[in-house]
Amino acid sequence: MRQFFPVEDLARDERFVQTNMAERMADTRVPGGGSQTSSKKASSRSSTNRLTPDRHDASDRARGLMHGIMVGEIQALEGAGRTAHDFDAGDGSGDTIPFALKLDMARQAWDEARHVEISAKLSAWMGTEIGEFQENTVLFEAACSNDPVLRLAGVNRALEGLAIDVFTQMKEFGDLAGDPYLEFCEDWMLADEVTHVKMGSDWLRKVTENDPERRSRALEFQQVVDKLFSFGGARGDTAESSFQLARRFRELAGFTDDEVDTIAELDEQALAERKAAVRAMNAASAAN
Amino acid sequence: MGDAPAPERTTARAPFAPWDRRDLPGMFDVAETARRVGNYKWAEMKLFEALGGWIATVPELDVKMRLGTHCYHHAWHAELWHKRLPELREMKPERLTQPANEAMVRFMDAMTEPEAPELTIEKLVGAYRVLIPRFIAAYTYHRNNTSEITDAPTIRSLTFILQDEIDDWRDGEMMLQSLISTEHDVERAAAHQARLEAIMVEAGGIAGPGTIGPTTVMNGGSPTTDSTTEGDA
Repeated sequence: MRQFFPVEDLARDERFVQTNMAERMADTRVPGGGSQTSSKKASSRSSTNRLTPDRHDASDRARGLMHGIMVGEIQALEGAGRTAHDFDAGDGSGDTIPFALKLDMARQAWDEARHVEISAKLSAWMGTEIGEFQENTVLFEAACSNDPVLRLAGVNRALEGLAIDVFTQMKEFGDLAGDPYLEFCEDWMLADEVTHVKMGSDWLRKVTENDPERRSRALEFQQVVDKLFSFGGARGDTAESSFQLARRFRELAGFTDDEVDTIAELDEQALAERKAAVRAMNAASAAN
Repeated sequence: MGDAPAPERTTARAPFAPWDRRDLPGMFDVAETARRVGNYKWAEMKLFEALGGWIATVPELDVKMRLGTHCYHHAWHAELWHKRLPELREMKPERLTQPANEAMVRFMDAMTEPEAPELTIEKLVGAYRVLIPRFIAAYTYHRNNTSEITDAPTIRSLTFILQDEIDDWRDGEMMLQSLISTEHDVERAAAHQARLEAIMVEAGGIAGPGTIGPTTVMNGGSPTTDSTTEGDA
């Protein structure tokens, strides 16, 4: 078995359809999807872009989000497993990671396996078939770096941080929709995600304790991933965002206020860039 | 009733209750126990690394999830052995985190060789039909032969770990039975098992020759083995 495993070789059965970020975000059935960026979508009776049960498209959007969570959990499972495999136990320098970090990654693999189980059952409960929505494999790409510290920053801090935001939103959606089954499951997954983010925060600090340059590179990479996974501002503190930054849970997971503020700024930048891109696209189509 | 004096109650009791049949003698001294535990830790590490690495390579969704679950089980076993080593006077656990011999290294290389998505049967055969049964054998022998009193901490870990191993073996065997559906599949599974089993026999088991004790009887009935280093307790 190779030491590092490329994203294009991820093994899937024939039901799965893989895609890139642009195509995935063009799917209007998922939160943040589609090209409209106004605070109120033309197709929506809701006053914000947030996923709430009173939206006429709430069912499709919730199903799309849950399917996205499921395939994301599959990739998180694969990523944690690869980190447990790819690096020998050592002092953290070069191609090694501390033995205890390997153990944490194995534990995370188990947690992610449970999350796949939970989200597969919830998807079935919501009437979704596996493969009904496309799978964006960019999460696993963040787990493919040859530097384990970048994996911690990109996956545990950025992507698992996003999971905290998404699960908080879904828990709230379950509460508003009167679906205790959904709310219960999201509550449990949220607890695991806080653990994973804290694990990433702790290990990132520990492994780079005497290597500020490496820590700086890792935090820069985290910002790139954070911005990418803002989904063009779909995640953020503004009313235009489909889901909010879960500040309290992020604090529990080891984020400082400044770090969360930075993510909020990145989200705003991503939203502005997306709006500009849509304006340019509309102008071009009007000219034709 | 009422006239006879009540028998005098005493709190003096034997140190071992009548139902407590634990005994002092064991087959392994501290050094031999540490050597075995180091071999176990090395093998458990190799197994959890392999299971973790394979997750991304198998297309079957249920298998993918079980590998993730089992990856953690074996990591936990490695952690238990890692923590036991300093209690056995090995203050640098890495020093004894070693394969039993060169054949064990070759075994792990051969077991982890399959990577392609169509080789799920081979991956599972290596883990669940060859290696995990060897763990069950080695741990059972150790648990049944070590001192029940002096080495109780090892026994406690062995008992928890054996429960995992047996549960995981059953999961793996059932996954294999559900995947093996043609004569060709049967041949594939058997051929791969035979290849790996031959290397494992050469290794003598997870802790080398003597992993499950001496089994042949020679010269007046004393069991013998080629190279076990068991100590007397």
